[in-house]
Parts: sequence; C-alpha cells; structure tokens
Amino acid sequence: MGHRDQSGALLRAASETASSTAPAPVSAQPPLLEMKALSKRFGPVTAVDGFEAAIAPGEFVTVVGPSGCGKSTLFNIVAGLEEPDAGSILRFEGRSCHAHELLGKVSFMPQRDLLLPWRTVIDNAIIPMEIEGQPRKASRALAREMLPEFGLAGFGDQYPHQLSGGMRQRVALMRTFMFKRELMLLDEPFGALDALTRTMMQRWLLEVWRRHKRTILFITHDVDEALFLGDRVIVMSARPGRVKLELKVDLPRPRHADLVTSPEFIGLKRIVLEAIEEEAMKSFLAPGATAPQTDTPE
Amino acid sequence: MSGSAPDTVIAAPRANSRTLQRGVLGIVLFILAWEGIARGFHLPAYTLPAVSDILASIWTKRQILLTAAGFTITEAVVGYVIGALIGVALAVVITLVPMTRAVLLPAATAINSVPVVAYSPLILLWFGIGMPSKFVMVALAVSFTVFLSTLAGFDRVDRRSVDLLRSFGAGRLAILWRLRLPTALPLMAAGLRVSTVRSIIVAIVTEMLGAYGGLGWVIYQAVLQIDFVQVWGAIFVASAASLAFFGLIGFAERRIIFWK
Ligand SMILES: Nc1ncnc2c1ncn2[C@@H]1O[C@H](COP(=O)(O)OP(=O)(O)OP(=O)(O)O)[C@@H](O)[C@H]1O
Ligand SMILES: [Mg+2]
Repeated sequence: MGHRDQSGALLRAASETASSTAPAPVSAQPPLLEMKALSKRFGPVTAVDGFEAAIAPGEFVTVVGPSGCGKSTLFNIVAGLEEPDAGSILRFEGRSCHAHELLGKVSFMPQRDLLLPWRTVIDNAIIPMEIEGQPRKASRALAREMLPEFGLAGFGDQYPHQLSGGMRQRVALMRTFMFKRELMLLDEPFGALDALTRTMMQRWLLEVWRRHKRTILFITHDVDEALFLGDRVIVMSARPGRVKLELKVDLPRPRHADLVTSPEFIGLKRIVLEAIEEEAMKSFLAPGATAPQTDTPE
Repeated sequence: MSGSAPDTVIAAPRANSRTLQRGVLGIVLFILAWEGIARGFHLPAYTLPAVSDILASIWTKRQILLTAAGFTITEAVVGYVIGALIGVALAVVITLVPMTRAVLLPAATAINSVPVVAYSPLILLWFGIGMPSKFVMVALAVSFTVFLSTLAGFDRVDRRSVDLLRSFGAGRLAILWRLRLPTALPLMAAGLRVSTVRSIIVAIVTEMLGAYGGLGWVIYQAVLQIDFVQVWGAIFVASAASLAFFGLIGFAERRIIFWK
C-alpha cells in the first residue's frame, strides 16, 4: 500500500510537470487507461497476477480468456468497485490513482443486465443521470430520443419483464451509454444471446461506437466476436490472469458480416485460438479448476 | 411478446374474483352451520348464541358498539402508523450507519422476546388507562414486525446491483432510495399487512386490562354482566374492523407493488 502511494505520487508529479510544459501532440496520444503489475487475490485464490495493458482514447479493445481467469475481477477494479493489491499501478487520464477514485468516472456494464423490475425501459436507462443529479424530465426526453438507435422504439414505457433477452441487453447498453464517460467497460454483453441476434448486435454496437466515439474495453468468450469488434485483442492466461497475447487487429472498418470468412481474419483467428487452447487446457487440468467458476462466490 | 402483457393484466383480477367467490361461499356455509347447531341443539347463550341473535343484538346496541369501535380503531390506527414509522426508521438507520446494527438488533430482539402484552401492566402504569397507553402498546407490537421485515428486505438486494449503482457514483442514501427500498417493498408490505390484525388485537387486549372505552372494554363489561350475546357482538365488530384494515392495506399493496 505504502509503496504504491509513493510511486503514485511520483508518477503524478511527473505527469503534471509533463502536461504543464507542453500540450501533448495529437499524434502521440497518451493512454486513457494504464495498468501495470495489476494483481488481486481473494484469500488463497489469486484472480489476477501482474496484468498489464494500456488503452488509448477511442480504442476498442477486446479481452478473451478462459472462464474464471479474472476478467470480471479486472473490470471491477477499473470500475472502482474493488481495490487491487498493493504494488499494482493504475493510471487513468494520465494520473496515477486508487481504484475507488474511479467510481463514477467509468461507464460499467456488468455481466448481467441488472435492470430494475419496477422501472420502465426509459427510467432504467436514466438511472446514471438521476444519480448524477440531472433533472429527470430532460433525461427522460434524451432517453426517448435514443430509443430508436438502440432498437427500442415504442418500448420506452414497457417494463423489463415484458422484453426479450436481446432487448433487455440493449436497455442495459443504453443505460451504459447514457452515463457519458470516456471509458466504457462491457462485460460479456452478448454472452446470453443466440448466435443470430449476437452477430446483429455486434454490427449494431460498432455502428453506435462509431457515432458516440467512446473508448471500449469489451470482455467476451467468443474469439470471432473479439476479432470482429476489436482494434486489439488481449488474450488472458488461465488463472491467475495475466496477458498471454496482445494482437493488433488491422482489419479495415467499417466491418461487414463477410469479414469473418476472409483469409486475414482466419489467420488472426488461428493465432488467438492457439493461445486460448493452451490456456484452456491449463485451467482445465489445474487442481480445483474443474468446479464451475461463478462471478460472486459468496 | 407484447401479447403477454394484456394476458397477465386480465388474468390477475379473474383469479382474484374467483378466490373472493370461494371465500364468500365459505363464510356463508360457516354461518349457516353455526346457526343450525345453535338452534338445533338449543345451546344456551353462554355456550354459543345463534348468529341471528348476535346480529340482532348488534343492531339494537349499535350506538354503543359504533362508539367502541371508533375508539379501538383510532387506537389501532394511530399506534400502527407510529409503530410502522419507527420500524422503518430503525431499519433505515441500521442500513445507513452499519455500525448501529450490532447495538440495535440485539436490543430490539430482547424487547420482543416476550409477548408484547406482558408489558401492558407497566405501560398502563406509565401512560394511564386512556388512549396513549394503547398507542404505545400497538406501536411496540407493530414496530418490531415492520422493523424486521423491512431490514430483511433491505438486506435482500443483489450485491451486483449495488455495485452497478456505486459505479455510477451513487452513495448509500441514493442506493437506499433507488434500490433497497423498492426491493424491500414486498417484504415490508407483508409485515405491514400482518401488523394490521395484530394492532387491533393488541388494542383490544390492552383495553380489557384497563380503559375508558373501546371494544375490549365492552367485552370486559359484558362478561361482568353475564351478557354473552354482547360479547359475541363486540367480537363480530372487532373482526369486521380487522378484516377491513387488512383488506385496505392489501389493496394498497397490490396497487403499489405492480411488478410482482
Ligand atoms: N469477491 C470475490 N471473492 C472471492 N473470490 C472471488 C471474488 N471475485 C472473484 N473471485 C474469484 O476470482 C476468480 C476470477 O473470477 P472472475 O469473475 O474475475 O472470472 P471471469 O474471468 O470473469 O470468469 P467468467 O468468464 O466465467 O465470467 C474466480 O476463481 C473467482 O472465484
Ligand atoms: Mg466474468
């Protein structure tokens, strides 16, 4: 803890002098989020160990890895919900910080949609704005305008139990987008959808991302999805999670459905699959890893 | 998809009216059996008076019974409101200031480990035999039930939902208001519903131990005068009041908690 505080202060001082002397040139963008030696243990379980990555503004980075390798834990840290272990370095917008300082600064979409059953679609979507203290009426009007873009036109006054799984997921996404923050964390947003809906949602998400110009960190189990969406794919190792492979996805945008059958795509896919296969085998053979892993063990 | 919504809306009242019909039928059969037994076996009034006699007596004594019922209902409702507010307030305090849980919960449990009626001699001594002692007794009985059910409701939230709101920068108060309170409503409502009947019972029992009026007082006086038809009349009026109170809260509950 003490060690991290010190290094944090040093880094902060350094970055402040750097930014005060000269405005950063547009070409060399400093990363929006930087993680170094990021670790997290839960008692005897080390969920994340020495994770390292830097996310540039506007980038779409996808994270794949075997189940239970610490992906959600990583997101919980970046969302500010959980402090990493001492010695971890977390930098946001060029400043070193504690995880809890990120509460309210990062737009987080958890693995489940977690819609509130007593609120309509509109009122679910405006929760973040309500918490920010923005007037309800204006937020509702804004949400109503956004409905068509999220494929929810005409459903604004429905309750969650009246919606299909795909629609609920879009409401959760809309809620995440309404929390206007530079960095968005999406934890397996399409994990529960059927393959067809899923590919439609992927193309739709790219379209929304292009228009809203946010930085996205996206967790998935699906290699096709990771490559189709991402500028960069981070493959995580089996638990304890660290970076196994970082792969730049140099495929042209806008991306179309037939991209997944192109030779370039298949070449990249082979690389990622190979890395994942190795890790999946490891996590399968590791002692105690055969029991199904859940997000909330308690 | 959209077709399922109107279905459920129509289905709910239909099922409701059917249970209502069955309930009414049950009550009518019960009363007929009672009347038949009392008349057929020529039972004396101190064993079981006929329903028709009781209803006739209620009609002739309507002035006394109405006044008494007004008395008891006032005590029950005032005590109920005070008790409910205290119960919810305690649960809110424990949730907002978690430190207080270790103190408040054992204290409340200790107080409640004895039937409330056991406190009535003390309460009558402290607050006199007028209405205030009944307010206190009813409030005591109601507050504990409401406190426990509300606290259980607050604690029932999904931790991941709490985390989601925290990630939006929400503090304890915002989480309480936007998440814990709505989540707790069904359990709170159950506690509030049970408390309606309890509040009338406690008011009547306390009146029997000392009062200037009320249904409990009427029952006590009637026993002294060996007027058992009058006892039954007061009991009928009391259960009618209980049912009405229960029904009112149940109705409000169904209105407010529409998403169940
Ligand atoms: N709060 C916690 N307390 C104890 N252990 C935890 C906690 N949160 C996560 N873990 C453990 O940390 C490990 C990583 O969990 P995490 O949820 O981050 O995995 P994941 O990569 O998101 O898995 P999945 O792909 O199945 O969602 C698991 O072994 C899990 O049991
Ligand atoms: Mg996960």
